[in-house]
Amino acid sequence: MRRSHLLATAACATLACAPLVANAQFAPAGSGGSPSSTVPGPGNGNAFEPTANSPAATSRFSGPSPYAPQAPGVNAANLPDIGSMDPNDVPQMAPQQSAAPAQGDWSAYGRDDNQTRYSPLSEITPQNADQLQVAFRYHTGSYPRPGQVNKWAAETTPIKVGDGLYMCSAQNDMMKLDPATGKEIWRHNINEKYESIPYTAACKGVTYFTSSQIPEGQPCHNRILEGTLDMRLIAVDAATGNLCEGFGHGGQVNLMQGLGESVPGFVSMTTPPPIVNGVVVVNHEVLDGQRRWAPSGVIRGYDAESGKFLWAWDVNRPDDHSQPTGNNHYSRGTPNSWAAMTGDNALGLVYVPTGNSASDYYSALRSPEENKVSSAVVALDVKTGAPRWVFQTVHKDVWDYDIGSQATLMDMPGADGQTVPALIMPTKRGQTFVLDRRDGKPILPVEERAAPSPGVIPGDPRTPTQPWSTGMPALRVPDLKETDMWGMSPIDQLFCRLKFRRANYVGEFTPPSVDKPWIEYPGYNGGSDWGSMSYDPQSGILIANWNITPMYDQLVTRKKADQLGLMPIDDPNYKPGGGGAEGNGAMDGTPYGIVVTPFWNQYTGMMCNRPPYGMITAIDMKHGQKVLWQHPLGTARANGPWGLPTGLPWEIGTPNNGGSVVTAGGLVFIAAATDNQIRAIDEHTGKVVWSAVLPGGGQANPMTYEANGHQYVAIMAGGHHFMMTPVSDQLVVYALPDHKG
Amino acid sequence: MPNTYGNRTLTEWLTVLLGVVILLVGLFFVIEGAQLAMLGGSVYYVLCGILLVASGVFMIMGRTLGAFLYLGALGYTWIWSLWEVGFSPVDLLPRDFGPTLLGILVALTIPVLRRMETRRTLRGAV
Repeated sequence: MRRSHLLATAACATLACAPLVANAQFAPAGSGGSPSSTVPGPGNGNAFEPTANSPAATSRFSGPSPYAPQAPGVNAANLPDIGSMDPNDVPQMAPQQSAAPAQGDWSAYGRDDNQTRYSPLSEITPQNADQLQVAFRYHTGSYPRPGQVNKWAAETTPIKVGDGLYMCSAQNDMMKLDPATGKEIWRHNINEKYESIPYTAACKGVTYFTSSQIPEGQPCHNRILEGTLDMRLIAVDAATGNLCEGFGHGGQVNLMQGLGESVPGFVSMTTPPPIVNGVVVVNHEVLDGQRRWAPSGVIRGYDAESGKFLWAWDVNRPDDHSQPTGNNHYSRGTPNSWAAMTGDNALGLVYVPTGNSASDYYSALRSPEENKVSSAVVALDVKTGAPRWVFQTVHKDVWDYDIGSQATLMDMPGADGQTVPALIMPTKRGQTFVLDRRDGKPILPVEERAAPSPGVIPGDPRTPTQPWSTGMPALRVPDLKETDMWGMSPIDQLFCRLKFRRANYVGEFTPPSVDKPWIEYPGYNGGSDWGSMSYDPQSGILIANWNITPMYDQLVTRKKADQLGLMPIDDPNYKPGGGGAEGNGAMDGTPYGIVVTPFWNQYTGMMCNRPPYGMITAIDMKHGQKVLWQHPLGTARANGPWGLPTGLPWEIGTPNNGGSVVTAGGLVFIAAATDNQIRAIDEHTGKVVWSAVLPGGGQANPMTYEANGHQYVAIMAGGHHFMMTPVSDQLVVYALPDHKG
Repeated sequence: MPNTYGNRTLTEWLTVLLGVVILLVGLFFVIEGAQLAMLGGSVYYVLCGILLVASGVFMIMGRTLGAFLYLGALGYTWIWSLWEVGFSPVDLLPRDFGPTLLGILVALTIPVLRRMETRRTLRGAV
């Protein structure tokens, strides 16, 4: 439930009267404060990136010019530039495994082209799941070595095609395992440097591709493709793991081409690229919070056969789909997309879940083009790279509500008995949008509702409305109240009550402020994050896990940011820990820096709000989108004050990262929670029928497959540094007794 | 008799220590709770804090009144918390668990405080 609009408006008016902290560098803009009915444009006329002749920035710390040469190591394999080819010359794509996976296979990140995370396997059922045992473990060999900061969170989901389980390590080494025993069949090391790890060392998976140009039986007829943290697109032969010589330059493409100035760790790929009608589409994450003119969030298409460049979608060059030449680069600071994308061969589209323009918490320097496509689903035509439609989930996002989830495709029953090709887009807001994938129009109702506006930052007004998906159950709890504050005792509860009252808070979309902190709920960990959702097309049940983790944010003046030592990663003085993604950030090039922490008691490490902090929900998509069951996800066994494990079996509901699998056996498999357990849940009742403790945090999407006639369940127990779960390099695979490897 | 005048037993020292703890919690409640109330938040903490400060001072002085003031504050805490969140165990946990544990200890000090009071009366009669 939301507070009434009147209350929000009144509270916001009060905020607007609050004294603003003066900022010497900030020229007050005349347009500031007036709400606009359209998406507002730039606030102070400086929405264009610096040119080669622009004067140097005046902040104490600042990154180099976008025209400066890339630092050593950015082009990790020192690859020559890749040439372009006409998208019309892309050969007809051969039938792909993921279009119709064999019953026992898991052919793509979300198993199939629809990314349902549904498996038709049924050997494991609610009746026998409690007998599951470890069949084998596989060590990837990637974990923090002594002296290295823990930035690990492998987040890996293997794929299984035929006789192989294919996966990547957190640092992008690729391997093929025997699916019944876990024995390594081949391993391809790519020698990635520690310096190339951005916010997180993660590799969510690899992509299986069958060539139409290389005959069956020849090397690289079947290939494994991967995007890496150091921005390479690599193709290897599925049978041997050897590089595909005919792809790019000796099997690799340098994805830093055309991105302009950068340093290792600024830009990286963590998701498996989809291949749509022969076009491999790549996106990448750009480290949050660094600088307004960070490298571009450009989306690019390459020929899956040759690795040649086909097109680019560069938001601020909407009519130019070519590669930049000479000293030019793709437009800086545009919204980046780091979530897994979904391909649609029938419509020739790729659905791109976009994030936010660089400098997440300040929007006055964004162009109108950026404002139209940030925190949105963008359907790009894979023939041209041009958007066919856009559906925006947050207007002028200043809350880091970039979409982390992958869209799931399904057929929605229509009014006239026909089915509508639909797309389910989960968001960090816990609003789940169901769209017609032909035109992006909502299938279930979406309302534009009043939002707190214009906010308090001069020249950077918030929009008067935001979209709400009223036809789907909201994956959130009501707006926070003082009485929701929690703790071990009245002492820490009082601390949190004060913290609550000392912040600005008028519910969801509380505008950023500089005079005092503001509370952001839903937080940037979701709602739904990169774990995405699983959908059982037989039963029509959609499984969603989500978070209740508010954040405590505050803009700081440039002077204060300099005092805090916040500087962008490409600043010559930058040291690790000097501000990074998902935390304090310099937002160099804007008037403000950002200070972000969880809304917690920093002395006990406990969240300030009452539990649960994580939930799992089953939604019946065939009969009115009703909630079938919903309960907290994760026990208190590995959590407690001061980070001490309580050992309690209490299902308190912990923060969670990672998704679920749903099977024809009537089970949901999910780890995700910070109690480091994997569990099997009855799809129809929500009852937990089995759980097992993992060697590390289970912050990854599990998968299930069949080998030698028996069903296996695999989970990467890689842990997650930000979720503070133990790191391991183990893939743990379970099966019923007598099928151990 | 081991209990000579001016020479406190271990239980009496523990009782005084408990009084100090309650006094400190009470001061925290008064100071922080007043700020909370001024920010428009709950007035429970500042009111309860006043009771706790008084309770702590009397317990340190060896007065039985201190214990009863604490038990009064505990009763107030239960009534307030049930009013605020109802019979919700998760929400009652931070509000009542610690104070009730402390209340059990305080109840155990009542005989000790009585003895201290009696002794003081005797000393006064000498």
